[in-house]
Amino acid sequence: MTTIVSPRPELVDTSATSDNYLTFTRGFRSWALTLDHKRIGVMYMGAVLASFFVGGTFAILLRTELLTPGRTIVSAETYNQFFTLHGAIMVFLVIIPSIPAALGNFVLPIMLGAKDVAFPRLNLFSFYLWMGGAIFTLYSLAAGGFDTGWTFYTPYSTTTTTGGVIPVLTGVFILGFSSIFTGLNFIVTVHKLRPPGMTWFRMPLFLWALYATAIIQVLATPVLAITVCLLIVERTMNIGIFNPSMGGDPVLYQHFFWFYSHPAVYIMIVPAMGIISEIISVHAHRQIFGYRYIAFSSIAIAMFSFIVWGHHMFVSGQSGLMNTIFSFISFSVAIPSAVKTFNWVMTLYKGTISLTAPMMYGLSFLFLFTIGGLTGIHLATLNTDVHLHDTYFVVAHFHYVMMGSALIAMIGGLHHWWPKMTGRMYNEKAGIIACIIIFVGFNITFFTQFMLGSQGMPRRYYDYLPEFQIYHVISTIGSYIMASGFFLVAACFVQSLLGGKKAPANPWGGRSLEWQCNSPPPHDNFSSPPTVGNCYDFSMLRWDEKEQGYVVDKELEAQAIAAEARAHS
Amino acid sequence: MLSALTSIFIATASAQIAPPTVTPADFWLPIGASVQAENVDLMFNIINYICYFFFAVIVAMMVWFVLKYRAKPGTRIRTDGMTHHTALELSWSVIPLLISIAIFFFGFTGYVDLITPPKNSFDVNVTAFKWGWQFKYPNGAQSDNLVVPSNRPVRLVMRSNDVLHCCYIPAFRVKRDLVPGRYSTLWFQCDIPTGMDEKNGYHLYCTEYCGTGHSNMYRRVMVLPQAEFDEWLLKQAQWLDEIPDDELYFRAGPKIYSRCQQCHSIDGTAGLGPTWQGLWTRLTAGGGARFSDGKSYADLIGPGKEYPTPEDYIRDSIYNPGKHLVATYGNVMPTFKGQLNDRGVDSIIGMLQHLDEFDAKGAWTKTLPPAAAKSETKPELK
Repeated sequence: MTTIVSPRPELVDTSATSDNYLTFTRGFRSWALTLDHKRIGVMYMGAVLASFFVGGTFAILLRTELLTPGRTIVSAETYNQFFTLHGAIMVFLVIIPSIPAALGNFVLPIMLGAKDVAFPRLNLFSFYLWMGGAIFTLYSLAAGGFDTGWTFYTPYSTTTTTGGVIPVLTGVFILGFSSIFTGLNFIVTVHKLRPPGMTWFRMPLFLWALYATAIIQVLATPVLAITVCLLIVERTMNIGIFNPSMGGDPVLYQHFFWFYSHPAVYIMIVPAMGIISEIISVHAHRQIFGYRYIAFSSIAIAMFSFIVWGHHMFVSGQSGLMNTIFSFISFSVAIPSAVKTFNWVMTLYKGTISLTAPMMYGLSFLFLFTIGGLTGIHLATLNTDVHLHDTYFVVAHFHYVMMGSALIAMIGGLHHWWPKMTGRMYNEKAGIIACIIIFVGFNITFFTQFMLGSQGMPRRYYDYLPEFQIYHVISTIGSYIMASGFFLVAACFVQSLLGGKKAPANPWGGRSLEWQCNSPPPHDNFSSPPTVGNCYDFSMLRWDEKEQGYVVDKELEAQAIAAEARAHS
Repeated sequence: MLSALTSIFIATASAQIAPPTVTPADFWLPIGASVQAENVDLMFNIINYICYFFFAVIVAMMVWFVLKYRAKPGTRIRTDGMTHHTALELSWSVIPLLISIAIFFFGFTGYVDLITPPKNSFDVNVTAFKWGWQFKYPNGAQSDNLVVPSNRPVRLVMRSNDVLHCCYIPAFRVKRDLVPGRYSTLWFQCDIPTGMDEKNGYHLYCTEYCGTGHSNMYRRVMVLPQAEFDEWLLKQAQWLDEIPDDELYFRAGPKIYSRCQQCHSIDGTAGLGPTWQGLWTRLTAGGGARFSDGKSYADLIGPGKEYPTPEDYIRDSIYNPGKHLVATYGNVMPTFKGQLNDRGVDSIIGMLQHLDEFDAKGAWTKTLPPAAAKSETKPELK
């Protein structure tokens, strides 16, 4: 261990006059032009949560439409716009930026022990690119909306008469660059700004996950930019690259699209896995089980993600040989996912588990990700996928992974770092109840859709046979329950901001560096380079009644240092 | 499980000589009525049981650990947990890997059978368009629902007129995209006849999103014993020819209109295409709607003009729908060239001329005079 003195929780002055990043400077300009990664992270979080509200509203509207066969509240055209908007907003504006750009921006430099990301100006620029992309997406609604599905499959997307297609494609193009710049920033930060003592294998697993994600963002997103450009050119100038009557090929579009969009699935889930590694180990106060296995499996998933895109196209007209190869490689993703899941479960073994709100989200993740991951087997297997492809089974599967896993982890992470971000605690009981409501509502909504799909109900259907109605009604009721859970979460956070208890530096008992600085952290994160130890060694922590948080016990620390010295001699 | 895997392998190898089987509908799967369904269902159920097992193990461990190691107030943080265990970690990498490879392999062999049609298959040509299906048979017969012989492999040779579509028959466990500009095929064999009653037919859906009417591309698959099928096929090829000319518009018209009604209303309701209400009057009077290029009916229809008669205009609108667009409507109608012959077009023209005899759904509201009723042959229209 290095000998540099770090600001220990017990030494930190938590009085109201102390400087923190929220009060460091004041006024609109100080936020709009800030280069502070924490403020940028908070702004991202606000924008992402607003988008989540919009995307969620569309989800509730389309679930309501599906209460009865035929028309319930809107016409077929409007319904098609609803599910398209729901998908596009949730993917491009919510899930992709939620963990890396919002939580990652706030947490990554502090966890690493750095003052900021490597390129603070680029960081602010990518936030404004995100805003630009979001504005184009909103503008597309005013321009007539779009009904292409979030996948923009040709030739439908190049021939549909809805006017918002080009604005939203422009928006997606811009959002892509926001994502690339964030990824680039994180890669350089992790490589170059690690303080002395922060070796690769001392990095918290969330950083490994963000690093793996950043690699995918930088390598895959340019392909999306090219694809979207080609689509815009095709639609405006009809150059025929995807148009069969001019020698083009619509299936080529699907290859381009999924070459990005399959890795994008991992842009969503890998950082979520990182959050879960943190939440489970911190709230179980237990050394993460199999650190290296988890770290490497993040990198493995990032690598595999580039060579499995064809499993979206098993019935699209791709050759049987290609299907076979893609099916085989797709199974390889199952292994690192299984490894992570078992390691998380084993981390609970002989832990000291606090059932806090973040932990409840962590356990929900384990439950939902297990279902989401296992049902992937049905879809990677060639002959069963033929039956299930493009049915509600697929809808249920990716909601279990994208929402039940990625988004639940994001909300869990928000609960986990909320005291750090705002300096306020929230009502723990209300947080736990909200989590249970969301968990129950989620399963009612989406487990029913597995049954719908395997019974043969295709997705993206406005009208359906009466025999499917009972499933749809149950699913819709589930979505209402889930929505009420999210409103409770929002109420909980608002209450915390208005009158929450002051947060201690270390409310959960974490050992990574962000728990060593104040809540909220000072503008420069650390007044002196922090001490980097084993961020999963919880043995020296004890609960302090006065502090209402965890502190490092001097006696236990001395024991731990002695034990380490013995181990090394 | 090994015996189950062996049996799927044997079943796969003998798919073509297997006796007819129906797998009953259960909690997960609908009724399976093709010779391929059994293998797919077996695979699906094997994967299900593997999933149940791993899910139970993971959740049980999770719940047990949380209950057992829950922090109690005042307790010290435990430090006796192991940080890693190589053998354990290898085992939960290698075992899932082996299971994955096995599932892949049996999924693959099943898939090869699923997509390889036997040589003696009966071919049906399938055209999908926004938003409907056209099934065409070797003898020229056409049908809106898919009618196929039983106990014989059927191969669908499919193409799309406009955007991507996808043919999905859940009971047969088959699905395949229809891509404009290329042919795709799909095969199945069903040994359980349904008769011609639509209620008993198997579902057929479009599962590739294709716009407003995507969920209306819902049809039935009727399976007939070979002799009955041959009889139906012959009749189907000739049905339009057997109707006397003066009865064409009310016998064939409503049948054909069922393909038009998604876009064109009879009662004036707004749709994706112009309503037929009052169309004939406007055509013959020469005024009325304007085209997107600013011309009126009078500019196009009349002796010496592009269309000498209104009938010519209607015929061309069906065969070349994008040529003159009525103002405010998009170029979305597919051509019906090759799908509607002259008698079919005559039926539509006749219907337009007698539109007051039809209700909003396209059903003929008059009754036949007694003499005509006697000669009615009630041809099987579908």
